[in-house]
Amino acid sequence: MKHMLARMFGLLLALTLIASGAMAADAVTVGAITPLSGKLSVYGEGFQKAMLLALDAVNAEGGINGVPMAIKYEDNTSTAQGSVSAIQKLISVHKLPVIFGPAASTNFLAICPIAQQNKTILIGAESAASDISKCGDYVFRVFPSDLLQGRGVAELAKELGYGEVALTYVNNDWGVGLAEVFKDAYTQAGGKIVDELAHAEGRADYRSELLRLKRAKTKAVVNLTYIKEAATMLKQAYEIGIDTQWLMGSASKSPKMVELAGQAAEGVIGTYPTFSQQTPQYQAYQTAWKQKYPDQKLPVFGEYNYDMVLLTANALRLAKDNSVQAIRAALIEAAIGFTGATGDKTFDANGDVGATYGRWTVKDGKIGDYK
Amino acid sequence: MYHLQFILNGLIAGSVYALFAVGLTMTYGIFRFINFAHGELIAWGAYGLLWFSGPLLGLPLIWAALPAIALTICIALAADKLVYAPLRHQDRITLLIASIGLSFFLRSLLQLVFGAELMTYGREAGRGWEIAGLYVTGVQAGMGITAVAFLAGLYLLLTRTLLGKALRAVSDNMELAGIMGLPMHRVNRTVWLLSALFAAVGGMLLGLDTSLDPFMGLANLVKAFAAVLLGGAGNVWGALLGGLFIGITENLSVAFIDPGYKDFVAFAVIIAMLLFRPQGIFALTRGEVR
Amino acid sequence: MNYLLHTLVMVMIYVVLAQSMNLQLGYAGLYNLGHVAFFGIGAYTSALIAMAGWPEELGMAVAMLVAGGCGALVAFPVLRLTGDFFGIATLAFAEMAYIFFLNERWLTNGPMGLPGIPRPQWIGQELTALPLYLLMALLLTVAAHLGLRRLVKSPFGRALKVVREDEQVARALGKNVLALKIKAVAVGTGLAGLAGALWAHYVTYISPADFTLQTTILILLCVVLGGKGSLHGPILGAIIVIFFQEGLRFLPIPADLNRFVAPIQGMVFGLALIVLMRKRPSGIWPEHRRKKN
Repeated sequence: MKHMLARMFGLLLALTLIASGAMAADAVTVGAITPLSGKLSVYGEGFQKAMLLALDAVNAEGGINGVPMAIKYEDNTSTAQGSVSAIQKLISVHKLPVIFGPAASTNFLAICPIAQQNKTILIGAESAASDISKCGDYVFRVFPSDLLQGRGVAELAKELGYGEVALTYVNNDWGVGLAEVFKDAYTQAGGKIVDELAHAEGRADYRSELLRLKRAKTKAVVNLTYIKEAATMLKQAYEIGIDTQWLMGSASKSPKMVELAGQAAEGVIGTYPTFSQQTPQYQAYQTAWKQKYPDQKLPVFGEYNYDMVLLTANALRLAKDNSVQAIRAALIEAAIGFTGATGDKTFDANGDVGATYGRWTVKDGKIGDYK
Repeated sequence: MYHLQFILNGLIAGSVYALFAVGLTMTYGIFRFINFAHGELIAWGAYGLLWFSGPLLGLPLIWAALPAIALTICIALAADKLVYAPLRHQDRITLLIASIGLSFFLRSLLQLVFGAELMTYGREAGRGWEIAGLYVTGVQAGMGITAVAFLAGLYLLLTRTLLGKALRAVSDNMELAGIMGLPMHRVNRTVWLLSALFAAVGGMLLGLDTSLDPFMGLANLVKAFAAVLLGGAGNVWGALLGGLFIGITENLSVAFIDPGYKDFVAFAVIIAMLLFRPQGIFALTRGEVR
Repeated sequence: MNYLLHTLVMVMIYVVLAQSMNLQLGYAGLYNLGHVAFFGIGAYTSALIAMAGWPEELGMAVAMLVAGGCGALVAFPVLRLTGDFFGIATLAFAEMAYIFFLNERWLTNGPMGLPGIPRPQWIGQELTALPLYLLMALLLTVAAHLGLRRLVKSPFGRALKVVREDEQVARALGKNVLALKIKAVAVGTGLAGLAGALWAHYVTYISPADFTLQTTILILLCVVLGGKGSLHGPILGAIIVIFFQEGLRFLPIPADLNRFVAPIQGMVFGLALIVLMRKRPSGIWPEHRRKKN
């Protein structure tokens, strides 16, 4: 028995050693931490496909100065822990200088310090939390910070004439961060927040929270939350007779939300970062996608991932040498005036990009632009 | 009015907890161990309904409930045959660990088959009826009625039938009941059947009212524990009252404290009960908590 | 190579966790199903102290004390209960701790967690410092093990075993059963706090999601697989379970089947527990003196 155990142990040991040694040699490789399993995997698939699409485009143009570009994917199982394991592996085993960071701001924030301390460039394509701006000079993102969206929601509330609102938000990095920014902007503009409460992610029953909101009796309720939570809350609010104007954020903007909530979603108004879909860059992305994946819909945030890869390729081509400092300098330079499918990606001092915020609403069961 | 709505919600939620607790307390009363896998019976009942009413078989909800219940009962009986019965004479910790393992297994299997995403039965949102300023939806009313019906049925079973009397006898004193010639096998099977039935029905009602996820069993298991403790382990009516109590306190507490602490209430109740009155508030003079 | 080191650090942490649970479960017969809460308390305490600027070593020591203290506090009222109910009460405590971690944002930063937890100065923050961290983890684990060994072989340890087997006998022998049990819990939870500190400084990011029932089940598996009530059993259990878990990462699984890995792993662990209980409840490395069950 002990003999067999010793052999099993040795085998596992050997496997671990072998696996950690192997790495591709003749390509310029960047890392990507993607949610390939776990609750964000449905988005992760889309991100991966969009990245592969961009990779095709890069390599069709000769790669990085003649050498093909490659992406090494690590699954973060949609968790922060998984992201930490993944980045440790990518840095220590594969020694990659650039890593595309994971979705969900919490996961991204968990690994920021690691990237910063180990002088590895980390780029995000779907993380909105405003705290990311403070991560450090090795951290960039092609997705706009919520600082802008928070102001956008406050403006929306004021413009529609709501002098006081009740506020609820999902209890995580994204929700808390966005709520803080909204509160600042809204109260500075003279608005009054009658009651505010966080709600847990992924619950089946929000009736207690909704009753508290109902009691506030405000004409509008700001609800900053994700798709499933939004759908559940809207449905249950409708059932208990809450009649109010719901103002939401970008994370709830999805046909799935409308599908789940049914008629309870009618009339919801929200904000989201917009970019024109008529630009040649966006059209190029759309065409390439339809060619490679003809029966699949464009994924959520796919265009941001696409831009991220293209921009990185530009930077890699521009870089004087393979050192991280050179790549970083090249990244900043390459971004100046870079117009991707999602618009201008020039980085500011914090490694953030700008954005304009449009408004969406649900009418007759469909999501469309508001006004 | 504001607080009354909470109480009403609490009664409905509590009636579902009562269903969960009743099943759990029955198996404890007879087999003297806490079935950690009870939560998975709840979850499998709910998911079973989803599957049978889903695109594959497309049965309407009421009809789909029957095979879903049957499925849950099969799982419970199989669990007894393969895991619990062989370990019946081992020490309690072995049973406990085995039931933890079983619960983990069943939950993972559920996740494997159905995925980890939140799911619903696809009901449309309907405005509730407003009665004297309180809102009740059709589903909530249905839940209350169903729970009452099942519990009434249980009452009749336990007091009017021979099998029911046998159950109560075994719960009182298993050895003596066996010696007196009660059909132990039948009794055991009946207990698992009832436990699974109530768990499944409760799970389906819960799923109808809210939604389904693989952890729904575990989350409600602890509340069922709390109810069982309140009522005195092994005491079916105590479990019922315990469930109602937990439902009401939990919902009402949100009016005063941060909603994030809602679940805290059930746990605090457990600890308080264990500290001050482990035999249960509603315990009659059974006193068989070891 | 680095990945192997990573796996070894995880093994160390789980060895401490398994041994500390075993002290309560295997030696004292207490089912502390809330063990993970003390893991979490230790992790948060150590992290917060270090992030406030105090030396990390101090943080780790305080973490042990706080975790052990909480354990004793919880145990004191709850130990009057018999087996199953002690289990549920501790389970309830773990859930309460989780809710606390999740909601008290001013302290724990809630669901966002604490990123950027510093490592001890002499180790350094770069990932290249891994071997040094492993060294520290190893030293601490060995120290914990030796400490436990002395404890278990002492009169205290023997008295614990008597309590486990038959409380009445222990009382008849004049032992203060409650005090013995509380001490066992305090030491066990204190060590869990140490494991928590090791975890926090290693991973540099903790959040409430790290401290759930799943982890308790994993620890339980280590203890039960290795052999409860034996000194070396849990070590073996931890090694097997962690290598299995980390080893799974290297299996070449096609991308669209990736989402099945976690549930299948869960099923395997669950089955392992059941099969172990049926076939070999005393684990791979049982206590020496115990005859076959």
